[in-house]
Amino acid sequence: MESRNRLLLLTLVLSTTLGLGGCSLLHWPFHKKPKVEAPQTEDQAAAEEEAEDADSTPPRVIDPNVARRKIKVPKIDNENWEIGAGMGFMTIEDFGTSSTYAAQINYHVTEDFFFRADIGQSTAGRTSFETLGGNIELLTGDERRFTYYSLSLGYNFLPGEVFLGRKLAMNSGFYLLGGIGSVKFAGDNRLTINLGAGYRVLPTDWLAIHLGVQDRVFDSDLLGETKVTNNIETLLSATVFF
Amino acid sequence: MEPSITTTRSRRLRRISFALALVFACSLPVASLAKQTEEEKAAKEAAAQEKLLQVFVSEPYLELSTGPGRGYPVFHVVEREASVDVLYRRTDWFKVRDEQGVEGWARARDMRRTKLADGSPFFFNLGDRAGFTSHDWELGIGGGDYGGANLINAYGAYSLTDNMAVELTLSQFLGNSSNGYKAELGLIHVIVPEWRVSPILELGTGIVYTEPRATIVLPQDRTDQTAYAGAGVRAYLTRRFFIRADYRWHTIFTSRDDNQELEEWKVVIACFF
Repeated sequence: MESRNRLLLLTLVLSTTLGLGGCSLLHWPFHKKPKVEAPQTEDQAAAEEEAEDADSTPPRVIDPNVARRKIKVPKIDNENWEIGAGMGFMTIEDFGTSSTYAAQINYHVTEDFFFRADIGQSTAGRTSFETLGGNIELLTGDERRFTYYSLSLGYNFLPGEVFLGRKLAMNSGFYLLGGIGSVKFAGDNRLTINLGAGYRVLPTDWLAIHLGVQDRVFDSDLLGETKVTNNIETLLSATVFF
Repeated sequence: MEPSITTTRSRRLRRISFALALVFACSLPVASLAKQTEEEKAAKEAAAQEKLLQVFVSEPYLELSTGPGRGYPVFHVVEREASVDVLYRRTDWFKVRDEQGVEGWARARDMRRTKLADGSPFFFNLGDRAGFTSHDWELGIGGGDYGGANLINAYGAYSLTDNMAVELTLSQFLGNSSNGYKAELGLIHVIVPEWRVSPILELGTGIVYTEPRATIVLPQDRTDQTAYAGAGVRAYLTRRFFIRADYRWHTIFTSRDDNQELEEWKVVIACFF
């Protein structure tokens, strides 16, 4: 009887030992609870994280490291300048009409406005007084040279197209001009005010043909009393945009 | 669709090579034709390396007009996602060529809404208030008074910063006793560039050439050095235009015993770009 009790007790102890060991291995009955970690210092945590990053590179489905296409934006050509030359007639008050040669440069600021600088030269003819009076010469040859320049603001006010036949259309436009400048005539420099208008036709986008008329007004005291003179310039010119 | 930057011969180079070919054809004997074609080949290679910017239409369509102005009719549209090559710009219009080779003018406002090959917006400067605050170049013409004489002047300035610019002024003055020319190089300081109307300060030096009027007997023509300090205002008008009015106090370092002092005031209409 005693030995049976002892056997029973030993079996119980053995099964308890084994059973508890098994439970501790399987974490039963706390297997669903999160494992409580011992509090760490920050340094330790950081060191661990670093180690984790170093040895674990998880496979990625999408690789975000796509090489970015580098776009180098080429410089866009600005074609706002227009340069050219022309010839025409200059009517110098009291001195008749003679040929003139001129050069101009324009800067287009907007589609409506542009700046123009122009320079020209003509030679004055003879006054009626000189013609009728015989051998009278009011001015020497050098003094008859009529050299002028002006700085103007232009306004494109009637843009349009001209049609040559059925197939060809060319851009065109009227413009108004106004500005100030100077004229060297009869050995003297004078301030001029210039007002005018022009018509421009563009056979291509870079070439323009201008027909323009400008009145260059200045005070002259050449024939005794000071008076306002109007000098009309009519010019046909060709310009190139660049 | 593969975004790319296409290479095309530039128009200007084509024009130059055409002019060159014309000159060669006129001036050189036929024997030198071989050399000419070699030079043309070199010019062609150089042109091929120049790249054109390609942009993509991101709005439903991009309208192309026959001319660079608001009145010119729209003759072609480029569809969304299609590309255009930017040939050049004139004022607020861009000359572009589409994939079919159709060339036309597109408005700057519409071009602002296109995208580059990498999807980033196509950015360029527009003539507006922001451009007035911060720009590279200024160009202006004006008139005024220089020590009692009429003054005509033109100036160009390059901005070093928004506040500071270097300017070159060329002037002619026409007076009762003397005429002359002057060229001056100076600095402009814009005190508040963000403001629509801002005060400016000026400092500079230059040379002045004076010739006495023929009717008055005076010493002969002379060239002197001059220096000035000035102040004024600049005010934004519209688009790319602004007006500038200033006063300058000049000291002319004459060869005589005393320096000459002169006052100048002027009003200038100018543009920035």
